[in-house]
Amino acid sequence: MKTYNYINGSNKDTPARVKLILFVFLSIILICFFFLDIFFGSVSIKPLEVFRILFSQSDSTFGTIIMKFRIPKAFTALLVGVALSISGLQMQTVFRNPMAGPYVLGISSGASLGVAIIILGFSSFISPFNIDALGNWVLVFAAWIGAGIVMTLMMIITVRVKDIMTVLILGIMLASGISAIVSIMQYFSSETMLKAYVIWTMGSLGNLTVKQLQILFISVSIGLVINVLSVKMLNALLLGENYAQSIGLDVKTSRVLIFISTSILAGSVTAFCGPIGFVGIAVPHIARIMFKTSNHNVLIPATILLGGTIMLASDIISQMPGSDNVLPINSITSLIGIPVVIWVIIRNKSFNRVF
Amino acid sequence: MGKLKREILSVIDLEIGFVSRGRKRTVLTSPLNATASSGEFIAVIGHNGVGKSTLLRTITGLQSLLGGNVFIKGKNIEDYSRTDIARNVGYISTEPVSVGNMTVYDLVALGRYPHTNWIGKINDDDHNTILSSIVKVGMTDFNGKYINELSDGEKQRAMIARVLAQDTGLLIMDEPTAFLDISNKFEIVHLMHTLTRERGKTVIFSTHDLQTAINTADKIWLVLENGIIEGAPEDLILNDSFDSLFSDSRLKFNKSEGSFVINKDNRKSIRIDGDGLQRLWTEKALNRIGYDLSNTGNMVRIVSEGNVLKWELLFKDQILEFYSIYELVVWLDGQDS
Repeated sequence: MKTYNYINGSNKDTPARVKLILFVFLSIILICFFFLDIFFGSVSIKPLEVFRILFSQSDSTFGTIIMKFRIPKAFTALLVGVALSISGLQMQTVFRNPMAGPYVLGISSGASLGVAIIILGFSSFISPFNIDALGNWVLVFAAWIGAGIVMTLMMIITVRVKDIMTVLILGIMLASGISAIVSIMQYFSSETMLKAYVIWTMGSLGNLTVKQLQILFISVSIGLVINVLSVKMLNALLLGENYAQSIGLDVKTSRVLIFISTSILAGSVTAFCGPIGFVGIAVPHIARIMFKTSNHNVLIPATILLGGTIMLASDIISQMPGSDNVLPINSITSLIGIPVVIWVIIRNKSFNRVF
Repeated sequence: MGKLKREILSVIDLEIGFVSRGRKRTVLTSPLNATASSGEFIAVIGHNGVGKSTLLRTITGLQSLLGGNVFIKGKNIEDYSRTDIARNVGYISTEPVSVGNMTVYDLVALGRYPHTNWIGKINDDDHNTILSSIVKVGMTDFNGKYINELSDGEKQRAMIARVLAQDTGLLIMDEPTAFLDISNKFEIVHLMHTLTRERGKTVIFSTHDLQTAINTADKIWLVLENGIIEGAPEDLILNDSFDSLFSDSRLKFNKSEGSFVINKDNRKSIRIDGDGLQRLWTEKALNRIGYDLSNTGNMVRIVSEGNVLKWELLFKDQILEFYSIYELVVWLDGQDS
């Protein structure tokens, strides 16, 4: 069956081809960055050596570094980038707010609160570094629920307050309130647990056990499946609640689905890697600028590819190849994401015209 | 046409309004009764705040009704699924749609929403429907343009194309011309009218422009606090229904003119000598400043000499000449004060 391109709305071939070329290009870039992330690290390993390790078993120290450390970390980066970007895309559409993202609207904070309650509150039973599988799932669930609660709160606010700026300010308030609660919890918690929590808040892609990576993979997959299932709803929601309903969308159901997906995606990432900012808000805008479309059938794959690539790139930078130092991943993503957000605002001269 | 008109919508004892948090019901008007048949062009008239929008939203199923029934094609609206309503009723409001990076084609394609599969795939049929909808509203050249680059009038056309692509028999439009300039307003009204005539669509639109409603609508729903008065515009004129729109008793609907006039208390009389269009508009102008035609009073004579048209006023015992209605009216008005 013929497919019609959405870019210029005609069935001329050229723009469809441009779109295809962009997708192929982005896929290649993603794969390149995935391998670059494996090639570069604090310990410099010659590319040839890396190839040898990748394609044959090796018990050498280098082999251990590659197989046990770098590959899982690259996978984590990929999953984190995809999850945060897609949750940002969904939030921007469902809130009709171009500045929405899991970090800005306090969803990550909500997830942090869930995690804090588990680590600091029930710390006598579980700690993030010597937990069994059950503990991991508990952590993830707590994060999902925290994220979901904040998301619902923000939606209640958005329905009442239409102004984008006001919603953002309220989001910041909410996030501050949550961190105040967490601070109080920290005050009453034991030293070891406090340390565990503080390290967690710095955000890291490299501390995941294989078991945790599995859980992250499963969670992100569930979130993505729900996201893909709601692609048509997302497109309808672009028109706003009234029109969306008038063309046959069940607004409540669609919101619940999108909330679940977003909470799972942003919550699981936050549970294992800590709060990572500005990927979720920036990547969907890069996708929109590149593909010049509002159609989620195009934006979702584009956001997935771009999100993965940008997170891998951030990870490569954070390791400062050739040096022993590792920068906190959260700082790198902020430094990459914030200029994009500023540029998007300046380019459109106001929030309201961004989409 | 000779075809029997089929009733497409009937509103029976409908109570509209809101249910607030504390389960408090705010019913806006007395129970409403009205009907619409296929191919009809219906204007909804009423005060601000009387509940026109709420009524239209309730008919579209965007808001739940508080009592009574709405039947679409003979089936109760509450028995329809969301998708089924969307296949039968299209909706346009004044609410501006602003989506960046969305082309006219994409916008219109969303009209196919209730007809496409779970992923929203646009197949050949959908594509043809979308293109023909765009052609119908005269937006062919705008196909690939982004909607945020369109003017208000163009945007509203695109929205109409979207609702056409939705392929519903009934189109509900809540003040579709509210923000448009005069020429766009006429074009949109003309477009909606054409849809009822050529496509057999039923269009129900609310408006504050009574003149347009009277001149174009097949039927008017006059929404008042105590119910809907429905009928052909002419019926409503003859039975004085429009007067109930105004609390000021001096504002009267002039039955012969088909428009509202302010009844000035001391009207003066004047005579006109002339005919044709010049006479008609001179008379209107004189009416406007408080003169009634009669056989007494001063005389205005319309004289055309070659290309020059002039108005001679026999005032007391002199003859004054004016070269436009404006001059005449200004002078006459000046005499009163």
